[in-house]
Amino acid sequence: MAITVRFSSAFQDLTHGKKTFLVDGDRLSKVLDDLEGQVPGLKTNLLNGEGKIHLAYHVILIRGHTQELCQDLDCRIEDGDELVIAPIISGG
Amino acid sequence: MNGYQGKILKVDLSARTTREEPLDEAVARKYVGGVGFGVRWLYDALQPGDDPLSPKAPLIFATGPLASINFLGSTGISVTAKSPLLGLIGDSDMRGRMGSSLKGCGYDALVIVGKAESPVYLRITEGSCQILEGSHLWGKDIRETQELIQADPENKTLLVASIGVAGERLVKYATICCELQFFAGRTGTGAVMGSKNLKAIVLGGKLETPVSNPGKVNELTRAITSQIQTDGTCDTLSKYGTWNTTGPANLNGILPTKNFQATAFSEIDKINGDAMLGTIYAKKRTCPGCAIGSRRVVAGESPYSLSPDFAGPQYETVAAMGSLLLNGNPYAIAKANELCNLYGIDTISAGVTIAFAMECFERGVLTEQELGFKLSWGDPAGIFRMIEMISLREGLGDLLAEGVKKASAKIGKGSEQWAMHVKGMEVPMHDPRGKKGMGLAYATSFKGADHESSIHDEAFQRENVFPELGLTAAMGRKQFEGKAALVKTLQEYWGVMADVVTICKFPMCPPRPLKPGPLVELLNAVTGWEFTVQDFVTTGERIFNLARMFNLREGMARKDDLLPSRFEEVLKEGGSAGESYPGRELAKLLDEYYGLRGWSPEGIPTQETLRRLGLS
Repeated sequence: MAITVRFSSAFQDLTHGKKTFLVDGDRLSKVLDDLEGQVPGLKTNLLNGEGKIHLAYHVILIRGHTQELCQDLDCRIEDGDELVIAPIISGG
Repeated sequence: MNGYQGKILKVDLSARTTREEPLDEAVARKYVGGVGFGVRWLYDALQPGDDPLSPKAPLIFATGPLASINFLGSTGISVTAKSPLLGLIGDSDMRGRMGSSLKGCGYDALVIVGKAESPVYLRITEGSCQILEGSHLWGKDIRETQELIQADPENKTLLVASIGVAGERLVKYATICCELQFFAGRTGTGAVMGSKNLKAIVLGGKLETPVSNPGKVNELTRAITSQIQTDGTCDTLSKYGTWNTTGPANLNGILPTKNFQATAFSEIDKINGDAMLGTIYAKKRTCPGCAIGSRRVVAGESPYSLSPDFAGPQYETVAAMGSLLLNGNPYAIAKANELCNLYGIDTISAGVTIAFAMECFERGVLTEQELGFKLSWGDPAGIFRMIEMISLREGLGDLLAEGVKKASAKIGKGSEQWAMHVKGMEVPMHDPRGKKGMGLAYATSFKGADHESSIHDEAFQRENVFPELGLTAAMGRKQFEGKAALVKTLQEYWGVMADVVTICKFPMCPPRPLKPGPLVELLNAVTGWEFTVQDFVTTGERIFNLARMFNLREGMARKDDLLPSRFEEVLKEGGSAGESYPGRELAKLLDEYYGLRGWSPEGIPTQETLRRLGLS
């Protein structure tokens, strides 16, 4: 499987400046495992103390022309999908 | 009265008199402070149809009870007046230290009426207020004004809040600026100040405000500050400021582009958070008592000189002077921001007005002959020239200084279709087609299109975001369902009450740490009251309804709770492709929203609702 993970500009500290990753995995949990292999510590930063997606971030799944939010680590990922990790917008 | 000085300072510039009045404790309990006081007093002082720029119209600066504890920007102040831009309630919350300084002088609020015969400024110190000659300040920009005032040894250590030239010339979206950094940006309160021939307010004092339980205040503020520093929810805001929003807004397809014709910008990589850090960023700046530090100082010499004296552009300005105008030049965005600051005009209204003019020009509705030059999308020189023309009311700038609603009505030729406003206030930088709650908030806010009237949809896409407020269901940002109840609650809790206690809205946005429970505990620790979260929200509801009653009295009706027709068009590209905001969907939402509010189908609060809120 070929999945692209892009980090929005606000994560360059966590990813050591790298914006785009190619990963493998049919669930978000596996994608994060792959990312952890590429940047040790990254997965920990993206999860909260309960092992869920950190409240400060959104993982947005882009499939063709559709875009939706991954609600949990069980979120299903398909070949060719793109994931974008971005901070939550809650004001201006 | 803990949390209050118990006094209001009233100034009549026509009569050149000042007097103190006691603050009624019952009013304090019912309206708490800030915009709550402002709306109440404005309702009582004006009759329907009164000119916002007449001597009779009050300009109200009101603090909240947290102003004296220096926590998360609570030292700021709320500025309320009948808006010359909307003809309805206008208010703008200004961070900085004007609130704590006014408290330090011994006052909870400053109410100014009348019109001085010639320009003046006010000097307020502990228990004293002088009306001083200000002709030498007239015509000066905000930096020159501050420098001239502080050159007087008696003013050297005092804080300066002033208008720029735009306020003097009654530009309908003129600002008031404090300490060169903080702005009452929206609704045109600067024009109200200018109409009174009042150039500046200079103040400073060190009187303490009594606090009910200082130990509890310390405990709560330390706990919240610690959480801000450690739980990760403020990290990107702290590092990038509100520039952290630009990239995600573009990704989600809500970044206004080319006067809201699109919501994704092809040059986003030039103006996103990293681009700004790599170009114009100089250092970060924090508001008093804040552990986040979302403010940005910018600097540079080329291609434009950028002064670090001012606040750098925040997200709204990056979009309003950037993507909205197809301007991908971060230096030009920062320069446009600086010019707006110096002249004293709101960057959002200015950007939307310039975008309107650019579209008029592109469509041949305005010509080079009428404008005096060729106005092209993305041209920094044209943007700078437009800011100058509007601020000085030169040429066509005189009409554009009235805002897009009045300008389009005069220009005609179909230009109303691309005049992006709600009730006369220009739409901020969040396209509601990709966030349906925001659209309802724009349509129903008492001051028109206001992005700070309701927390944005993106924050409620997961479950249990605000259980204390009964907001537990996850809702997609693009869905209409559930948004009526969501927006109603958020308008009361966040839109109104943050401006009542005059605290920064950012840490109140979920998932950030300033939750309803601790905030109300803090209010109680300061005042000694026993407010519940429900009392707090109901206070917001009371003020919201009173503002609605003010606006209805001015002739506003359900027909005015609408969005620009452009939002009915389907977005073709980007993260919100396929989305629109059809009028029939808004009408359905309004029916539900009015019902939840206890309003008639025409949008009028029922007698029962007014009785319940103590407003009958």
